[in-house]
Amino acid sequence: MSRAEPGTGGLYHRLVVYLLFIILLLPLAGTLLYSLATSWSASLLPSGLTFKWYLALWSDPRFLTAFAQSLLVCVGALLLSVLLILPLLFVVHYHFPRLDALMNILILLPFAVPPVVSSVGLLQLYGSGPMAMVGTPWILIGCYFTVALPFMYRAITNNLQAINLRDLMDAAQLLGASTFQAAFLVVLPNLRKGLLVALLLSFSFLFGEFVFANLLVGTRYETLQVYLNNMRNSSGHFNSALVISYFLFVLVLTWAANRLNKDKS
Amino acid sequence: MNSIKRSKWLAALFLLPFALFFIIFQIAPLAWVAIHSLQAESGWGLANFSKVFQSRFYRQAIQHSLEISFWSSLFGIVIAILGSYSLRKVDSRLRDFVNAFANMTSNFSGVPLAFAFIILLGFNGALTMLLKQAGIIEDFNLYSKAGLIILYTYFQIPLGVLLLYPAFDALRDDWRESAELLGANAWQYWRHIGLPVMTPALLGTFVILLANALGAYATVYALTTGNFNVLPIRIAALVAGDISLDPNLASALAMILVGLMTLVTVVHQWLLKRSYHVAR
Amino acid sequence: MSFVSVQNLQKSYGGSPVFNDINCQIQRGEFVTLLGPSGCGKSTLLRCIAGLTAVDSGKILLDGSDLVPLSPQKRGIGMVFQSYALFPNMTVEQNVAFGLRMQKVNADDSRARVREVLQLVELQDFASRYPHQLSGGQCQRVALARSLVTRPRLLLLDEPLSALDARIRKHLREQIRQIQRELGLTTIFVTHDQEEALTMSDRIFLMNQGRIVQSGDAEALYTAPVDAFAAGFIGNYNLLDAVSASRLLQRPVNSRLAIRPEAIALSLNGELEAQVRSHSLLGNVIRYRVEARGVELLVDVLNRSSADLHPDGQRVFLSIDPTALCEVA
Repeated sequence: MSRAEPGTGGLYHRLVVYLLFIILLLPLAGTLLYSLATSWSASLLPSGLTFKWYLALWSDPRFLTAFAQSLLVCVGALLLSVLLILPLLFVVHYHFPRLDALMNILILLPFAVPPVVSSVGLLQLYGSGPMAMVGTPWILIGCYFTVALPFMYRAITNNLQAINLRDLMDAAQLLGASTFQAAFLVVLPNLRKGLLVALLLSFSFLFGEFVFANLLVGTRYETLQVYLNNMRNSSGHFNSALVISYFLFVLVLTWAANRLNKDKS
Repeated sequence: MNSIKRSKWLAALFLLPFALFFIIFQIAPLAWVAIHSLQAESGWGLANFSKVFQSRFYRQAIQHSLEISFWSSLFGIVIAILGSYSLRKVDSRLRDFVNAFANMTSNFSGVPLAFAFIILLGFNGALTMLLKQAGIIEDFNLYSKAGLIILYTYFQIPLGVLLLYPAFDALRDDWRESAELLGANAWQYWRHIGLPVMTPALLGTFVILLANALGAYATVYALTTGNFNVLPIRIAALVAGDISLDPNLASALAMILVGLMTLVTVVHQWLLKRSYHVAR
Repeated sequence: MSFVSVQNLQKSYGGSPVFNDINCQIQRGEFVTLLGPSGCGKSTLLRCIAGLTAVDSGKILLDGSDLVPLSPQKRGIGMVFQSYALFPNMTVEQNVAFGLRMQKVNADDSRARVREVLQLVELQDFASRYPHQLSGGQCQRVALARSLVTRPRLLLLDEPLSALDARIRKHLREQIRQIQRELGLTTIFVTHDQEEALTMSDRIFLMNQGRIVQSGDAEALYTAPVDAFAAGFIGNYNLLDAVSASRLLQRPVNSRLAIRPEAIALSLNGELEAQVRSHSLLGNVIRYRVEARGVELLVDVLNRSSADLHPDGQRVFLSIDPTALCEVA
């Protein structure tokens, strides 16, 4: 508990925080301005403001396809994650608590092994042959599952520990519920909020993923980030509108996650 | 007793789908890379690795990767330390706002970030113009090592703030007050007590930032269209480029990258053991 | 002239006053306790004297000079915190030597002084241990040593024993008092535990809601509380309003009365009849809840023999020492 007393110390801290804010804001602000500018070449400020770039963007079928495909892949990956991770977590925490230590090491792998490295193996293993999925959204869904794994595992684990899984299950079972019933009727509803927050945060992270999307699938199933990169040679204003649209979308998601997080108590 | 054992085996079945997907998409590729790094045309051995270390080109890639990662992590962590410390001292409305903003900008990396920087600091960028007019710089090349360091520093900052903000919880107010009463000024407090106590958290964050920068691909690829010589670009070029494909050499480079990250983690653990014993 | 003089001190947090116009004087070498319930302002007052919390207005004179404009570093005051506040990255010896290091005392003198003060708190064998290797009581003794080694003019202790268990607390109480007497160090001690205050202090300042309600030595505070709060806080006073008091004593009473349980004698004959409602055995004292003339009273009786045991429901007679009746506001 600190007693924040205003004074010269307080002024310094405020300045630092504002400076931090400005540093972080600058690229965003620049892009926003560029997306609204009629033209802005070698001068300090744009020459005029317009919405035409956004209109062009949102009426471009290729953009809309890319957006939809990104959505599909991310939602698919998260669905897969939920189906795989929830039972895993439940079994580990209820039946094999000692596996949690092992799991904590395993989920470090997606962090410790950069996507570039995995891509080398993925391209060779699944580029052809019986498990050929390179170039299809399926390999993306599988890879995105591993990307979301650390976030989701940690978030739901914390949640499970907070609600004291064992006691809840034991109480439910003593009252006559089977394991399945207890899991669905008692544990799951209590996980809802934590799960939702984890999903929203993972989604925003997956939506910005580029490495797997570009190396494993590329233009064959164009996601938003790949589309963004492929459009690099078109007008900078168009690209900026694209960037801002993407960012706004992610902003809404993280804001929603933040609000839900605050509501938790 | 038997029904409990049976239910345990049944439960273990539920682990299978997860294990399957995890192996297919995470373990198998890694294993492939590890094995094939040791396979060249001449058969098993370290041929790939010696090729890498004898090539000036690849050595430069490693050097660039290390330099960019080190400097961007250093600048990033210094800014993050100052920022998160001050963040804790301002009123809650400003604090929550900037905290949330930092959280949201941590999503702003990769391709969109590269584009944003081109707009600001490219050859005709607004900021470049401003700095030129103010006479602060003569010319600025964003597509150089220095430019990349600035770009990487930018996306390290939110991560640093995220990790360091809770780390300051370790500093108790009454240590500061005790030190004051014993005659220490602010600088002496930080030098003798504050920084030493925070060292594990600072080192840990630095290591995470280093790893983050070493493995980054999207940002540098988007900025330089894959033309800057860093490890991730080289690896990708050998498996997905238009020119010569050499997955075994790529595997060797990949193992070197993973090796660097492991080395950094090991050094971190060793440094931790040498610093004072952390209570509780 | 007093050694420490707090004059017209005012302090508010965000609009609500913590204390308003506090005054108190402390003599050199005195052991003074600030006693009161949580939130009464005693810790804030202590922190103001230390300089850790700024005051709105007023003066704090230490040996004639005003402390208020001085930073904590320059006040020459030692303080022991409830949470010990030992620096976790330093050994016991380094912790204790820290203040000397800030004063730029040379290494040999510093080592000698540290050893001397560690012997004073009986921890000379623990010099190279780290705080996490020590028990709570040992940590507190190190904290005490650290604040004493710099030879401060004034020693402040902010509920230093609250986090320790009962047995250690008693032992440390005696040790602190003994060291304080040996050094002749002016000391201000903050606690909410009345037993601590009564056993350790030369004088007690009883505080409530930012005011000093009563000040005096242990005897005065215990036997002559000035108001209902004081009577309720110290001891286990029976607090009677004027009507009940009149009914009990069968004479007109104008104000509230406070009667200590041990000032009421219990026997099997007498004038004031009562009935035992319940009792609790407190070890060397039996506390009876009796009802006399419709008024409920606590009566403490020394547990000398079985003759002092009275079963519930028994008719007994009370005798109240008239000098022990306190009129309280």
